[in-house]
Amino acid sequence: MLFGLLILSEFIFIEPYLVGQIPKGTELGFLLIIILSGLSALVLPMNVFRINILKNSKGKIGGSVFGSFIGAAAGACSCGPIGFAIISTFGSVGATSMAFLTNYEIPIRITAIGLLVIIYFTTVKSLKVECKLKPE
Amino acid sequence: MNTKGIIVGAIVAIIAIGIILSYSSTPSETVNLDMGRTHGDVSTAMGSPILGDPSAPITIVEFGDYQCSACYNWFHEHKPAIYENYIATGKANLVFVDLAILGRDSLTAAQASYCAEDQGMYWEYHDLLYNSQESKIDNGWANSERLKAFAFSLGLDMDLFESCLDSGKYTKRVQYNISEAKKHGAQATPTFIIVGPDNQQKQFQGGQPYSVFKKIMDNMI
Repeated sequence: MLFGLLILSEFIFIEPYLVGQIPKGTELGFLLIIILSGLSALVLPMNVFRINILKNSKGKIGGSVFGSFIGAAAGACSCGPIGFAIISTFGSVGATSMAFLTNYEIPIRITAIGLLVIIYFTTVKSLKVECKLKPE
Repeated sequence: MNTKGIIVGAIVAIIAIGIILSYSSTPSETVNLDMGRTHGDVSTAMGSPILGDPSAPITIVEFGDYQCSACYNWFHEHKPAIYENYIATGKANLVFVDLAILGRDSLTAAQASYCAEDQGMYWEYHDLLYNSQESKIDNGWANSERLKAFAFSLGLDMDLFESCLDSGKYTKRVQYNISEAKKHGAQATPTFIIVGPDNQQKQFQGGQPYSVFKKIMDNMI
């Protein structure tokens, strides 16, 4: 996810050469991508574990996937291929939605991080309860 | 005298006069475009004037949008070094072709740049737009009024500029450039095609660093 987001946000290029850059003024965006990817990497497997092993509610994984997806979508710059494809397919509606994602990129990412943090703590709390060994 | 012949002759004369007048009535809107101008297999006839030496061995074709943040970053971070080391030295030149898709103001800004070209100030206006870009798309920084204000700050003839912009004179030119960009597979802004001396081409997406351009162009020279 981290690599994908860094490519989408044009921090890393793989063609024609593998090269990276952090343009001036985009440092905060770069940092938020790192945090978002780290949290997604933490929260998603925890909730997959909850579902697979504990056969528990699927609500939290929905939230964590949603948080990760929204955060990632905000990182897909409308200048990039994904934004371009959406604009080309959906015309002015696509352009408006991509403009919204681009204009509010930072607040959207912060919101996604907030959502993932909440899900992380509630998941940890519920795992503590659900994984507690019963005394014999 | 054959009356029929006179009538036909008069009609032909009127049509001929009409055609001549239609070609000569608006001298201020005449544009000197080299319709055959191509770089590699890219038609740049409707694009910007050439920045740098037209006979330079390498041409950088940039497909860009005035509201694109990646184009802004490239303009400020990497273009100066490319200009200094390749364009100013006659090793390369640059043509900007509009891929104005990000918002409604992108189209107007692209048209305004050609209205500035009418008065010989294309690159000054182009640079001013990238120096004035704001981070939000379609938030009004490149609306019609602001575009006119930019023209005023450059000392352009405002009557000519306003009539050009308000009439939508360059709508089709910008649309042609967008279709040319899409025809060449541009799927992001900026997209670059570097055309070498033997018409070999290298195409890539994104506002990539100077080092990438240097590597490609040094291999071509």
